[in-house]
Amino acid sequence: MNPSSLTPTQLAAGQIALAAVLAVAGFALLVPRPRGRRVAAGVASLLAAVAVFAAWVYKTFGDPMPDLIGTALFYLFSGSALLFGTVLVTQANPGRGAIAFAFVILSTCGLFLLLAAPFLMAATVIIYAGAIIVTFLFVLMLSHAGGPSDENNRSREPLLGSLAGFAFTGLILFTLYVSDAGLKPVAAGEAPKPAQRLPAQVLTPDERAALLSAVEKLDAVETQLPGDGPVADRGAVRDHFDAVRDQIGAVVGSDARSRDGSLPARLEKVPTQPGGKVAPLRGDQQAARVLKRAAEVRRLNETAHDAVSSHLLDGKPDRPTVKAQLHKLRDEVVLLAGSGDLPARNVSNLGYLLYTDHLLAVELAGTLLLVATIGAIAIAQRKGAAA
Amino acid sequence: MITLWHYLAVAAALFGIGLVGFLTRRNMITMFLCAEMMFQGVAINFAAFGRYHGNLQGQAFVLFIIAVAACEAGIALALFLTLYRRGRSLDASDWQALREAGVPPVIDTEPLPTEVTVPDDLLAPAGVRPKTAPTEEPANV
Repeated sequence: MNPSSLTPTQLAAGQIALAAVLAVAGFALLVPRPRGRRVAAGVASLLAAVAVFAAWVYKTFGDPMPDLIGTALFYLFSGSALLFGTVLVTQANPGRGAIAFAFVILSTCGLFLLLAAPFLMAATVIIYAGAIIVTFLFVLMLSHAGGPSDENNRSREPLLGSLAGFAFTGLILFTLYVSDAGLKPVAAGEAPKPAQRLPAQVLTPDERAALLSAVEKLDAVETQLPGDGPVADRGAVRDHFDAVRDQIGAVVGSDARSRDGSLPARLEKVPTQPGGKVAPLRGDQQAARVLKRAAEVRRLNETAHDAVSSHLLDGKPDRPTVKAQLHKLRDEVVLLAGSGDLPARNVSNLGYLLYTDHLLAVELAGTLLLVATIGAIAIAQRKGAAA
Repeated sequence: MITLWHYLAVAAALFGIGLVGFLTRRNMITMFLCAEMMFQGVAINFAAFGRYHGNLQGQAFVLFIIAVAACEAGIALALFLTLYRRGRSLDASDWQALREAGVPPVIDTEPLPTEVTVPDDLLAPAGVRPKTAPTEEPANV
């Protein structure tokens, strides 16, 4: 069969399946068994699986250069989570397995930090520090000291078990690939759809780039309108600020009625009859917040531009006021360009959410913990022992 | 650029590895740790979707997952203790008498590797290894 005649989806399916089969072979060779496992062959097979999978990720997602530090941290944390997870599964000694599990938890905490969830990171570290120590206690209490044993050196259906786990993983990865609209093959001449970036973007990358370049131009206000004194080249200054106004206006619009900006045109429905109510097309709070901020930017954009024009016409020495307006516009545009991202300092908001929207669930979770505590004591109690 | 897909893929892989461990390993403590690893995979899913939608609902859900995982840990370790008292072993296959009717039992055919005791090379060949005396009476003080 000619590989070039395959569709991208078929190629993706083949590559994911190959990686899954290699991973199955690796785990089947690595899990403990009485006759000794084949570490070299298992590790080689797992490395081959990782290589096939990494090649596919690189080919599908392309150059990961734009956000270098975030990308490197993501691959570091996710790689170590998967590596130590593999060690936990393949390690015969349960004590060493518990140490590997501690590293899995630490890596997961790193991923939580990257996902703007610092409270989850702290909570996971605190809770699992206790859990892992208790696990160690159990290993020390209950394991037979030294020597191979049935529970540690035998595995239950190594091949079928690995097959079940990795068939599951491979199918999920393939489903994610098929369902991701941004990854579908694009016909020639058609604009590629953006991938599902984190977070779901209200602003498109082009709009964000336009706003940020307008910010750069607004930062140059000191060179355009230096100190006091007359403006040297009024025509050039006017052109500069006209370009700024048009650039911002192309995104947020210059007139609230006609929805000529790309952002309101995409997010708001134009009323059919004059005087009708404007309906947002996206119901989420994120889009609503962005639209509110865009309206503010639109207003400031017009007032700042008017101030600059009248200043250039009159030449009155109220330059600090004009500059203050331009600075305010610049700050609002920066906020608009960065909006839509979940801020990292959200711990107090999480508490607020828990005790307002999810109060009943918090109570239920507390009750569940209480019942589990009583149940654990009841189960572990010795029959006939003194109460 | 790290997309939502990357986080979902890591979460799926973590869940899959945990599933393999839960299915293949026989030590109940290791099985418990593998189940916890599957919980971590699910938690990453929720946190990633929360970030993707720009709200905190996913993180709130992960907190409830952690609460349920803590309950599970308490009950599971209590059960292990009870099972260990009955069977003097952490091997989950010791309880295969509970399997469905008509399923053949799993019998371990391969012998476990025997430990070879290496002679103590610190001791001179002429020397005699001192006997540990289990018969010695403990001093009643």
